[in-house]
Amino acid sequence: MIITKKAIPRRTVLRGLGTTLALPLLESMVPALSAIAKTDAKVARRFSVVYVAHGYAPGFWTPKGTGADYELTMPLQPLAKFRDRMLLLSGVDNTAALQRPGDPRGGHGRMAPAFMCGVHAKPTQGADFQAGVSVDQIAAQHLGKETQLPSLQLSLEPVDFSGSCDSGYSCVYTNTLCWRGPTMPLPMEDNPRAVFERLFGDSGTTEGRLRAKRIREKRSILDSVLDKARTLSEGTSASDRRLFDEYLQSIRDVERRLETAEAQSSRELPVVAQPAAVPQTFPEYAKLMLDLQILAYQADLTRVSTFMLAKELSGRTYPEIGVAEGHHALSHHGDMEDKLSMLTKVNAHHTSMLAYFLDRLQSIPDGEGTLLDHSVVLYGSGHGDPNKHDPINVPLAIFGGDLIKGGRHVHHDHQHVANVHLALLHTLGVPAESVGDGNAAISLT
Amino acid sequence: MAERLWSGCRRRRALATSAVLGVAWLQASAGVAAPSPQNSSQRRAEGAPSESASAPGASKTPGTGAQHDAGLLKRYCITCHNNRLKTAELSLETIDPAHVAKDAATWEKVLKKLQSGAMPPMGRPRPDAAAYASFASWLTGELDGVARANPKPGRPATFHRLNRVEYQNAVRDILGLELDSSALLPGDDAAFGFDNIGDMLTVSPDLLDRYLSAANKISRLAVGDTSVQLGSAMYPISQYLLQADRMSEDLPFSSRGGAAIRHYFPADGEYTLKVRFAGNSPIGASSMRERPPQTLDVRIDGDRVAQLTTTGRDFEQPADVGAVETKVMVKAGPRVVGVSFPRSTVMAETRFPQLFPWGNSAAFGTNTGSVRYLNVSGVEVTGPQNPQGLGDTPSRQRIFTCRPTQTSQEAACAKKILGGLARRAYRRSVTPADVQVLLGFYEKARAERGFDGAMQVAVERLLVDPDFLFRVERDPVRTAPGSNYRVDDLALASRLSFFLWSSVPDEELLQLAEKGTLKQPAVLEAQVKRMLADQRSSSLVTNFAAQWLYLRNIRGANPDSYQFPDWDDNLRVALARETELFLDYQFRADRGVPELLTADYTFLNQRLARHYGIPNVYGEHFRRVQLKGEYNRGGLLGHGSIQLVTSFANRTSPVVRGKWLLENFLNYTPPPPPPDVPDLPAVGKDQAKLPLRQRVENHRKNPVCAGCHNVMDPLGFALENYDAIGRYRVRDEGSVIDSSGATPDGTKFEGLHGLRSIMEKRQVEFVATVTEKLLVYAIGRGVEYYDQPAVRAIVRDAAADNYRWSSLIQGIVKGIPFQMKQARLPEEKVAQ
Repeated sequence: MIITKKAIPRRTVLRGLGTTLALPLLESMVPALSAIAKTDAKVARRFSVVYVAHGYAPGFWTPKGTGADYELTMPLQPLAKFRDRMLLLSGVDNTAALQRPGDPRGGHGRMAPAFMCGVHAKPTQGADFQAGVSVDQIAAQHLGKETQLPSLQLSLEPVDFSGSCDSGYSCVYTNTLCWRGPTMPLPMEDNPRAVFERLFGDSGTTEGRLRAKRIREKRSILDSVLDKARTLSEGTSASDRRLFDEYLQSIRDVERRLETAEAQSSRELPVVAQPAAVPQTFPEYAKLMLDLQILAYQADLTRVSTFMLAKELSGRTYPEIGVAEGHHALSHHGDMEDKLSMLTKVNAHHTSMLAYFLDRLQSIPDGEGTLLDHSVVLYGSGHGDPNKHDPINVPLAIFGGDLIKGGRHVHHDHQHVANVHLALLHTLGVPAESVGDGNAAISLT
Repeated sequence: MAERLWSGCRRRRALATSAVLGVAWLQASAGVAAPSPQNSSQRRAEGAPSESASAPGASKTPGTGAQHDAGLLKRYCITCHNNRLKTAELSLETIDPAHVAKDAATWEKVLKKLQSGAMPPMGRPRPDAAAYASFASWLTGELDGVARANPKPGRPATFHRLNRVEYQNAVRDILGLELDSSALLPGDDAAFGFDNIGDMLTVSPDLLDRYLSAANKISRLAVGDTSVQLGSAMYPISQYLLQADRMSEDLPFSSRGGAAIRHYFPADGEYTLKVRFAGNSPIGASSMRERPPQTLDVRIDGDRVAQLTTTGRDFEQPADVGAVETKVMVKAGPRVVGVSFPRSTVMAETRFPQLFPWGNSAAFGTNTGSVRYLNVSGVEVTGPQNPQGLGDTPSRQRIFTCRPTQTSQEAACAKKILGGLARRAYRRSVTPADVQVLLGFYEKARAERGFDGAMQVAVERLLVDPDFLFRVERDPVRTAPGSNYRVDDLALASRLSFFLWSSVPDEELLQLAEKGTLKQPAVLEAQVKRMLADQRSSSLVTNFAAQWLYLRNIRGANPDSYQFPDWDDNLRVALARETELFLDYQFRADRGVPELLTADYTFLNQRLARHYGIPNVYGEHFRRVQLKGEYNRGGLLGHGSIQLVTSFANRTSPVVRGKWLLENFLNYTPPPPPPDVPDLPAVGKDQAKLPLRQRVENHRKNPVCAGCHNVMDPLGFALENYDAIGRYRVRDEGSVIDSSGATPDGTKFEGLHGLRSIMEKRQVEFVATVTEKLLVYAIGRGVEYYDQPAVRAIVRDAAADNYRWSSLIQGIVKGIPFQMKQARLPEEKVAQ
């Protein structure tokens, strides 16, 4: 679907992409987009989380040397270009994921909720799951007030494969990274077309008046639905209504988003083509999803995004780099040389995707600087050494412009990852008091 | 070996659990009550939900029985399961056999162990077979009696959202529109192996956003959109699909390659069809000049609309090189666009003769020195240019049950249409208020959009209504908290249709429900029969069985193409199809559940038969094939699909296969390894060269590991002859495969045949497992201890009928968990 910024006649051609995969952003659009709405000359801050499962084998993350003088390990080589922007952390623990008596042995089910929410996931297989509020959603509550979408949640794996969940843990703990509330997981989008439509709506046009009209239609529908829903829930108990209350809450949230969208309906949007299908190779797929996040930032449709680059328990192979064994199988390396070698290749492959993201962020002007200048990107994993599901010393790197002092490796002494998150939130201007079980923000300077 | 593991009760929990598993293979004859056909007919006559009968031979006198059984408990169980030791966190010291009702949950756990013969553990004293059976039998009777006296139907979610599949099917049945909901809605989280568990189906603003978009799209396609914009859809074709033969049943017999695409044409009008080609690998510069033009047939619903010629392209050239396109007038609706090459039966003499591609791999595009066949890489449909009208699509026919010819007729017609749609969508009779809501939207849009356009807006509103998206089962007013009640007929109709069709009830069910006659046993039984015979019951294959047997994972499998050069998407599709057709046959022909494992036939096409090494199967269509012993196939365990989804990308895993079998066929989840299991010692490079069996046997050398692995691994070893993509092999890493094994109690078995014999001995457990999984799927909640009497009753009743699927399904529908519900308890406590 090519969206033009002028009012388009109804017969405008909407064209699919075919075999091309990168979104061809026209350069001429970029200057216009850089004048994104700012309040009080304050720059719009973006927050991105890029999560990879299964950590790093010991010795492959923590560099030798601290401060500015350190040696990048092999899997981090693709990030060499961004060394001066990168705050590399070691000695940070995913403390909430430590096994407690009574926990199922696995661990994968604990890793992501602990990393993202700073809480110990309730050990259950059933529907009584419970986590916390994830760091991106805390950020979205604040940063998302001015945008149509409070946040974006993207992944590269569908959730409907059987047996893809950690034994003893509800599937939801590995299917998603993002939690609006302890019992409110958010679905992660793995379909690029669907992401595209969420960003640009289903009106098929960027023309302000028509988009506003469509928004008003949706609001009218939702008002009517809310009325109906209220009568439907009369006479039911609170516990019965739990899911239905989420439905009511969701309606109100969407209404709020539509309000914002309507207010911004005269905004210009870039000329892009809609993705046709899920790309067949991992690098193409990952880059396409990253491009969509960039697009969302550029058009200020959202300021928070979370990307699950690799899912916990993922069995994905990476034939493009010569790795024919599944990621999860490799992560139980048993200190065997061949497995370690393949695992670190996968790690490097993932960081090269991150490098692509950072590169694109840096190439896009945003106000006085670039998107990267005004972003905070968090890259990490819930696992330290994945061999024994060890949440100690997890990989964690923060990239940012003026907000983050990069170019150094800081080694902590068993710091709770939630405290790092809290510090990041404060840096972004989000007035959060705590993240999960964390007790105090660390210093990032 | 047993002695080494045991040093009295003071053992690590690890050994305790391993010992439990260690004897899970003793004969399962103990404790399972004999079937009682006369009781089942009695029950039908009574009209009450199915009740469990006490087993023959059970001690009827509480006094004698309890005393007798207390003695057994003291002698064989309490030595370990007492208050001081609490082995496996279970104490039976204070449990009272005279009042089983007090601790029914614990007793059910005890019974499960007795039914599989797992307790007392091997090496410990156990009663003689008769006493063992008598005790198990008595306990079954007691538990069933408790359930009879005080039934617990459980409490599925009050608000149960439709999942993605159900939404898709509902749209199909209400609006007559077939579409793929995975493009419109996110996936649903699963629990207990299924994605239709009410309490797991959460709602988020993101999901609601998607529902709004989906409603808009669907309503426009279904009603027809007068303002339809020029759109384009790309259908890429996997590069791993070998296009050497007829690719689809929708393409002519004389065709080769290409694809048949299902596309929805939104309006009558002119459409451009563009076909792109995959690049040929040039074999020397001369091949580029010598490549002859090839003819491409383009068909719509089987009628040829164009014949185009192309010289194709080399893979280095841009995608559009050699692409062809044509403009066609097409009528609105779902149609099959078929592109294919005519099969050449005569070849000109050329410098590079075309060789037949058997044994070639799509992955590598190898073709032993010949000019490669030209492959289609994608089809793009753009249109409509100059839309002529909305046409007469199936969905428009379904929706417009009246057509106003004058403006004065419109209001009444709108009311009729919307009333009818709402009835199907809300799964009940509609109130004037229901219709008025929809009419409101119609009226607002009428002036600007016309009759049809205004109808679209109303349908859009319908599709996001909570009455559509949620199945609501509220407790009837003035129901005492915690009491049991029978679900009303409308709720029953929905439960039936979502169980058997994964869709909304049809008119017949709704009418019976409204009359209040659906609950009558004869009516209910007849309806189940009708519904199973209906085509929509294929959801039991595509939804229930596909999740139970992990078949959905086939599309995500990614075998290493260097180790498995024979792997391509043709094989992927064929493996899935074999199992799909096999399962479909089981349901349609109402076979017995054990036949899943014992079948001596399967469904094959040429590609799959070649993979399996089965001769004399030609052509890409599937047909039933009788299996001979030497084919080494038969039953689900011989299906390549199952072997594929229980393997890794680069090798088999006997442990994964063994565990999968225990969980999915015998309802036994091996506990995860204990927390302090030491790592297997790091081994030298030589380790990698050993056949997999020997590498895995390291697990069993360590006694801490042996307990569980002695049970799992032999099951997996029995299937070691089937590699990670389901092909039969005799050697692994150079050594002949050893597929022999033994159960912990010493029974030897070998290969698929031996595994099938082992499973046949556990037939009742297998059927009980299938029943339990089917029950979870049917009621949308996990199965609890208090559902076990119902499961036992279903299995008992079905035995007389050789465990046919219809017996199991009828039994579930008749049972208490399906027909009744417990009202919420005070203080909203979860039902105990």
